[in-house]
Amino acid sequence: MSTAVLEVKDVQKIYGTKGESQSHALKGVSMTIDKGEFVGIMGPSGSGKTTLLNVISTLDRPTEGFIEIAGTNITQMKNNQLADFRSQKLGFIFQDFNLLENLSVYENIALPLSLQGVPSKEISNKVSKVAQTLGIEEILQKYPVQISGGQKQRAAAARALVHDPAILLADEPTGALDSKNAKSLLETMTDLNENHQVSIMMVTHDAFSASYCKRILFIQDGKLYTEIQRTGDRQQFFKQILDVLAELGASHDVR
Amino acid sequence: MLLKLSLSSMRKMMKDYLVLLVGLVISISIFYMFQTLALNSDYTKNNSMISSIQIVFNVGAFLLAFITIFYIFYANSFLLSLRRKELGMYMVLGAKKGKISQILFLETLTMGIISLVIGSLVGIALASGIGVLLMNLLEISTDGYYPFYLPAVWMTWGFFLILFIITSTINATRLARATELALIRAEQQNDQIKSKGIGAVLVAILGVILLALGYTCLHLIMYLQALGFIVGAISCTIGTYLIFISLLPVLVQALKKNKKLNDSKLNAFTFAQLRFRVNNLTKILGTVAMLIGLGVGAMAGGLAFQQNVNLFTSVFHVYDVNLHDPVEADYEALKKMNVLEQNTYRYKVDDKAYYYLKEDLLANPLLISTNSTQNYSADNKPKLVTDPLPKETYIISASKEDNGKYDAVPEDWDKAISANFINYQMIEGKSVLVVDQATYEKTAGSEHKVLLAQVDDYLKYTQELKAMDERQKQMIGSIANVEVKDVYTSSKYSTYAGMYIFTSGTMFMGFFLGIAFLAMMASCLMFKILSGASRDKDRYSMLRKIGVRQSLLVGSIYKELFMVFIFPAIIGLMHVLLGMEMFSFILLDPYLNIWIPTLIFVVIYAIYYYITVQLYRGIVLPKEA
Ligand SMILES: Nc1ncnc2c1ncn2[C@@H]1O[C@H](COP(=O)(O)OP(=O)(O)OP(=O)(O)O)[C@@H](O)[C@H]1O
Ligand SMILES: [Mg+2]
Repeated sequence: MSTAVLEVKDVQKIYGTKGESQSHALKGVSMTIDKGEFVGIMGPSGSGKTTLLNVISTLDRPTEGFIEIAGTNITQMKNNQLADFRSQKLGFIFQDFNLLENLSVYENIALPLSLQGVPSKEISNKVSKVAQTLGIEEILQKYPVQISGGQKQRAAAARALVHDPAILLADEPTGALDSKNAKSLLETMTDLNENHQVSIMMVTHDAFSASYCKRILFIQDGKLYTEIQRTGDRQQFFKQILDVLAELGASHDVR
Repeated sequence: MLLKLSLSSMRKMMKDYLVLLVGLVISISIFYMFQTLALNSDYTKNNSMISSIQIVFNVGAFLLAFITIFYIFYANSFLLSLRRKELGMYMVLGAKKGKISQILFLETLTMGIISLVIGSLVGIALASGIGVLLMNLLEISTDGYYPFYLPAVWMTWGFFLILFIITSTINATRLARATELALIRAEQQNDQIKSKGIGAVLVAILGVILLALGYTCLHLIMYLQALGFIVGAISCTIGTYLIFISLLPVLVQALKKNKKLNDSKLNAFTFAQLRFRVNNLTKILGTVAMLIGLGVGAMAGGLAFQQNVNLFTSVFHVYDVNLHDPVEADYEALKKMNVLEQNTYRYKVDDKAYYYLKEDLLANPLLISTNSTQNYSADNKPKLVTDPLPKETYIISASKEDNGKYDAVPEDWDKAISANFINYQMIEGKSVLVVDQATYEKTAGSEHKVLLAQVDDYLKYTQELKAMDERQKQMIGSIANVEVKDVYTSSKYSTYAGMYIFTSGTMFMGFFLGIAFLAMMASCLMFKILSGASRDKDRYSMLRKIGVRQSLLVGSIYKELFMVFIFPAIIGLMHVLLGMEMFSFILLDPYLNIWIPTLIFVVIYAIYYYITVQLYRGIVLPKEA
């Protein structure tokens, strides 16, 4: 029995129409993420990480290939279906602009549930539960301008998780945080993954952030370059990542 | 190079500039049309009828100019704010501030000149189309009226050019004073969320009280006179602003506090956006409400005056036709009308007096109006004069010699005879008597008759009635020995025609003024909303990413902007509906056909609402694939 939450097969993405200057951002990527995994995506700038995340998160359509999330083929869906799918099955954390600054933290977290028409009482219960998990009960009534960057990303994580998505997608979630806040967010994500069985896919530049993952896929020039699995402790994994990155950089220089 | 950049960015903001342009063209063309009437004194001198409304058009042009000044300043500062970031960028990249100021100056001026060219052309078209149509409608000769009238062109160009030069200069100097950083950061302001407490509620109550006071003053204007008007206008204005400052934010806050509503779909976001708007746009929303009131009021007022002409004439005249010694042509004309009642009354004239035959009067008693301008009601039907006339002779109007010789006729008879039989130019100071058959037969003078008739609807027969009136004037002129153009008849038609021209002119002006006001106000509101749109872009893109359907986002935009547009509309229309009451002391029914200006307003406003939504949507949402 397959426990995959995400299956990507031969996905290609070409930006621009024929005749114009085209950019081949993904050149046939295949990968699988199983339920409960914490997978990192790394690669040099311009390698196609964000593009991959965008086609998986249904924000963009692949030019070619097949993507299945939680048993649903998303490549054939209409726009409205895609939007509904995103709001029900996916959770997002972006680098910034995660929260609407004109809504309170509570309202921000409640948004995915409101969209699904969950009754007000139930929303209230679920929000306080997820806030507890992320340790942000105190700031629920505050507005984004009134809280710190780290708290913002926690609130974003709460917003991403409140509706029990099949998978949590994060694009450089620590990108705008200082190291202390970054570390705390990563530890929270690890906790979510280990103790609450949340499947996570995280795109990152940063080897330190990546070292919190269980498995890392490296992309280069729109293709899967290699993948490494964490076997030992985090320190060791961190070194392993640096090695691969050095290798990647070297191959880049040669070209 | 810089010029090229600025041109390309102007092209990008084409839509915004187009909105500004449309507002300006409307204002300029209407200004021009008013000027063709206001300045052409040769024409108005030859048309005594129209000279009375020349003043109306002068006032109209003045009001229009006044409001246009505000519009131009407002619109320009918005366009500037839209471009601040871009201009700041140029400066950071090393462009000289002076150079940028210069370009900005030229841009604003070019814009003005383009709108002047188009505006004058549209104005000429308006004048030759609508202006001439108006004259024809009023049956005023258009000889000497020129849709293309050079003094009006000079006036329009002179006035607006000065205006544009001033605004361009101000725009350029404003830029020159700003620093690069201030320019770039211009948009990065966060919404401040101020919680409205008990204070706001108090202010809201004060606003409502002031409004009520204002309306009461306007209602009692008959007793309070000028004081009522001044106090009424001031307290209405302040009340309006207070309501927008306090009541609206409190209302939106209340919406948000309703947890069930707030937690449903995208409402939390929609309300949050709305809260930001009502907190930030209080002044402009208040102003828009006031100007909607003025604009619709100008239209409704003009229309009410015009529509009331018919009511007025029916207060003074029961009979539609009133002819002394009708001739064959009059009878022919009467045959074409649907006559409900027609009676003739005989009289004799000698060198001392007019003698009306009592028996004719009693055989077909006259009707008199039971309405007055102070106390009008459509239910007051005319009544028959039934007072008996037992005496031999009664007097209605006495010459010097006859003073005190005879009994006065009962009051109702006096009213009826004065209204229908007596033309003071015609009687030349002679007495007017009512005499019995015997006396009548003894009297030596020539015999005449008066024909009175009621028709189904006299407005259907204005052509015939006008011709009858002309013939009566000829006749009276020859009796009284005055020139025909100086003769005044007391027919229903002549009362009607005199008032109709003046009030139509007023209405015409009111309509165009109203339309210009509304178009300019609606575009101000639109600019204000659009200038904040780029700030909202990130919000919408984030919502889209987390899976909000495009249709839901679009719906939210419609809802939010609808609320923003509807509040001033409601208050503005309320001002009109309650404020029109103040005309009740000169108008019989100020609310006659008020739905017409209301409808025009709703249409114009709805168009601007729709355009605003579309433009805003174009900025914050990507095109659906
Ligand atoms: N909307 C687009 N239109 C055209 N080309 C694009 C578009 N988005 C990305 N590309 C191109 O696709 C390639 C991959 O871009 P992508 O954003 O996925 O890189 P990335 O790995 O996320 O880089 P970074 O680490 O800098 O964020 C790049 O060559 C980029 O120029
Ligand atoms: Mg990227």
